[in-house]
Amino acid sequence: MNPAWALAALGLVDAAFSGFRAYAGRDARIRKHRAVVHAALRGLSVGAVLLLAPAFTAGAVLLLAEDPDRAYGALADGGVGFLVPLGAYALAVLFSLAAYLALPFRASTLAVVVGLGPLTLARPLVVAAACAGALVAGGGWTSLLVGAVAGAAVLCVEPYVHRRWYAPAY
Amino acid sequence: MPHLEISDLITVTDPLSGARLPVRRGDVVRRLDEAGDPRAARIVAALPAGPDDVLDPLAVDRLMIGVHTELQRLSEELRVGERLVDVLDPLFEAIREIAGRRGRFRLVDIGSGLGYLVRWLASTGALGPNVELIGVDLDAALVAEADRLARAEGLDCRFVHGNAFDLPEVATVYVSTGVLHHFRGPALAEFFEAQADSQALAFCHFDIAATRLAPVGAWMFHRARMRHPLGRHDGVASARRAHSDETLLRAATVPGIRPLLYEPRGLSNPFCTTLRPVLGIRPYLEDPLRQALGRASRRLVGAEQLTRGGPPGHDAAAWSATAGTGAAR
Repeated sequence: MNPAWALAALGLVDAAFSGFRAYAGRDARIRKHRAVVHAALRGLSVGAVLLLAPAFTAGAVLLLAEDPDRAYGALADGGVGFLVPLGAYALAVLFSLAAYLALPFRASTLAVVVGLGPLTLARPLVVAAACAGALVAGGGWTSLLVGAVAGAAVLCVEPYVHRRWYAPAY
Repeated sequence: MPHLEISDLITVTDPLSGARLPVRRGDVVRRLDEAGDPRAARIVAALPAGPDDVLDPLAVDRLMIGVHTELQRLSEELRVGERLVDVLDPLFEAIREIAGRRGRFRLVDIGSGLGYLVRWLASTGALGPNVELIGVDLDAALVAEADRLARAEGLDCRFVHGNAFDLPEVATVYVSTGVLHHFRGPALAEFFEAQADSQALAFCHFDIAATRLAPVGAWMFHRARMRHPLGRHDGVASARRAHSDETLLRAATVPGIRPLLYEPRGLSNPFCTTLRPVLGIRPYLEDPLRQALGRASRRLVGAEQLTRGGPPGHDAAAWSATAGTGAAR
């Protein structure tokens, strides 16, 4: 199983949310749906560029490998291990988000307090867990390298978008 | 050690004239150091000041607007507007019942800051067309920004720089969000007395629910959602300064007012109730309000309910002297 497409899809969705977070808290208007969409698209575009870094890293690993088939297999195994923690995290976010959007305000507060807030803080830990998952799944140091580059790329989207477009004047 | 909020110390306004007073950075740093809060002292020490060590007022204004904008994000995420309307809508229904359906009513938001509540109410029309919406704040920069935002979106509300109790118009209902914990000691009771002495029919002040979870939750959310260290610091300090249910009810027990708490600590899930209001209503409004609330009226309690084996953790002894006094007046 090649998890590359699933990982790319998760990375791009995360980038869109990162764009939203980079913007949120910088605009005090009440009606701002278009600005939210704009920020998400900015995150998506920055994420699409940054996620080329792990793709190039994986490509370089395969080009430099003495046995490309074996290296490919290791990367695929590592990718699956990388995907498992991220997939669990994505499901938790999805569930919290659905609860937040669908439930009345008291229950939606619960979804924020126990779900969306802590999950935002946990993102670096989840990336670390994904890297560990890549190793545990037998991906070796090459998977760890690609996973670390991917994790760094994903975590850089929000600060980059914020500094580039939304940084405050103070 | 007292928990001090940086924003209280770096913006000082004369309450009578509304004039901005100069603030020396060194004085604020010293005060925070004496309060045992070196982190806050470092935050203030990094703020720009002139050669006379007076904090740069324009920089402070920009910072306060930025921090309040971030703070609004938390209000949006926690659906504070809906939480307020859950109480304010039945309250205005009760007022209409008493005063007549065709009346014109006025909601005054005390310490409105960037005016999120007022602008949100204006944008949604949640309280109906016959409720005039006014935000009042002592911080001129925040009021100016609130006004600019309202005009930019064409919202039917307005903002006034000054003291909410000196308005030329009579308020029907006073509200606030996150203001009560700024009042300490006798000032808290004086705040409620000022409203009881006015012609307002009710007040409804939301503040952080003083639960054990509040400081931890505040740390987590301000860490996750706010970028400037001042906002993160003050968010946690606010949660630590939040008044208990008993303190609020006791302070709101003033002549002419029936003090009530909506969703007190013992009746609500702290994970679902981040903010809850203390209400003060003219006694004849209580029955119509409970009718308008319907089943939710069980969430509305007075001092006597807290005393009669009410919510767990309440201080029954502290209430023995004041139980029911609000209802009797």
